[in-house]
Amino acid sequence: MSVQSASPAATDYAAATDEQSIATAAKARLRRRKAWVLTAQIGVAVIGLGAWQLGTVTGTVDPFFFGSPLGIVLRLIDWFTNGTAYGSFWLQIWITLEEALLGFVGGVVSGIVVGVLLGEVPFLADVIGPYIKIVNALPRIVLGSIFVMWLGLGLPSKVLLAAVLVFFVVFFNAFQGVRSVDRNLVANARILGASRLQVVQHVVFPSAMTWIIASLHVALGFSIIGAIVGEFLGAQNGLGLVIATSQNTFDANGVFGAMLVIGVLALGAEGIMSLIEKRLLAWKPKSASESTVQGL
Amino acid sequence: MADLGVGGVEMRKVTKRFVTPTGAAMTAIHDIDLVVEPGQFCAIVGPTGCGKSTTLTLAAGLERASAGSVKVSGKPVEGITKDASFVFQTDALLPWKPVEANVALGPMFRGAAKSDALALARDWLKVVGLSGFEHHYPHQLSGGMRKRVSLAAALINKPSILLMDEPFSALDVQTRAIMSNELLALWERTRPSVMFVTHDLEEAIALADKVVVITAGPGTVKAVFDVDLPRPRGAVQEIRFAPRFLELYQQIWEALREEVERAYSRTSLANNSARASA
Repeated sequence: MSVQSASPAATDYAAATDEQSIATAAKARLRRRKAWVLTAQIGVAVIGLGAWQLGTVTGTVDPFFFGSPLGIVLRLIDWFTNGTAYGSFWLQIWITLEEALLGFVGGVVSGIVVGVLLGEVPFLADVIGPYIKIVNALPRIVLGSIFVMWLGLGLPSKVLLAAVLVFFVVFFNAFQGVRSVDRNLVANARILGASRLQVVQHVVFPSAMTWIIASLHVALGFSIIGAIVGEFLGAQNGLGLVIATSQNTFDANGVFGAMLVIGVLALGAEGIMSLIEKRLLAWKPKSASESTVQGL
Repeated sequence: MADLGVGGVEMRKVTKRFVTPTGAAMTAIHDIDLVVEPGQFCAIVGPTGCGKSTTLTLAAGLERASAGSVKVSGKPVEGITKDASFVFQTDALLPWKPVEANVALGPMFRGAAKSDALALARDWLKVVGLSGFEHHYPHQLSGGMRKRVSLAAALINKPSILLMDEPFSALDVQTRAIMSNELLALWERTRPSVMFVTHDLEEAIALADKVVVITAGPGTVKAVFDVDLPRPRGAVQEIRFAPRFLELYQQIWEALREEVERAYSRTSLANNSARASA
């Protein structure tokens, strides 16, 4: 009796002696574990949402302030079918996406260009450095107010705010990346006959790329934040405006609903980003941590 | 002395000082006189931190001498030395480029068309015995294979002078012996002049025509020994047992030992005083 109730892994190993069956057993164990994790994850969601819904039904949670899962779903269905006061819901999503993407691209490109330039030219870095630090020390969100004043309620003010947020993240990484290029690689390229531009193109930039790519995940989040905060401060369209309007009419379901949509967008963008990253860093050896980390 | 031909290196009273970021000056080498004739294989040995590598960076034109004259192929070194190739201790391969693109860098930087450069690179990979690995990334190769790629990348430009800074010291002993043999075979194909920095005296004698002993820092030339072992040398593992090899080893080691001891006592003294003051 006691022998049979011993851990199943032990019996797995006892039964399997050749390498192949050990490998299959290990794979099966891994699959079982994955299935368990997924079940538990779904369980957490069901319990959390269920408790919330139950609370609103029984009256322990005030649905006026806290909304309810069902209310959020109904609100979203209403938005998607009937649209909002300022056009279809798809349009709001598209506007926010457009602002975030344009801001992302603008911020990334300018961040890389300025970062590589200052990293390569120490004189420029010494002169411009303090100013960049000053601007960086500002809470950059307040720049949004100025941008709305300058550029109006349309698209450009949000794009600019998103781009500024993205710029600093990418800039500091690009700069650091350029500064930490292996001096041997640069020396070798120069001896092989590379011009300064060729050194930047073939050695410095690709080497800094690892750093830059690491910053892109954060930058992507910032671009969405920039777009939404910009819309909060003043806009004619966009998910930020949807949230602001819901807030002003005490529509908790609306706020949560828009939040959910933004979350889905951010996750989707994050997924695409990971694919791009994988592609760009295909040359990298898999690090030990990468291959063993599960879940997060 | 008359100017040396293509590939010859001539250093006269060369001194190199570095200024540390804190503003202190440090003399790395002092009044070095060194001649490498065209096609000669010259090994430079000396204790750690004596400025062996500095002589190479001066010959390559990566650094300027603080005093004295450095001439390569009869011309004073100004800017990066043309016709030179460098092999570093850690391989200086670009990890994001496949092997063939790494080897093709030299011709490409010198204006060759990409397809020509890649074709030439594949030829050289064949020479170093790495056919079939053209599309691997450097991290997928072993240390010895990466070293071969470095050699191919250095030799593809047909340098008249090859500068090697402890190129094999990161390899295990067996791989190192194999690579030494391969280096000799490759060197005999094109016969560039070689400046080979090492701290391994056996390696120096087995490979070189001439061994230069540098003193403990600031480094200067202590003695020069001609190695009259016949060429081709054959396997470096075996030449180590030749009576002439042992004789030379003893002579050179006499000169080197003093410097090594001096350098060692200096670092251990520094450690002791640091410990005492702590």
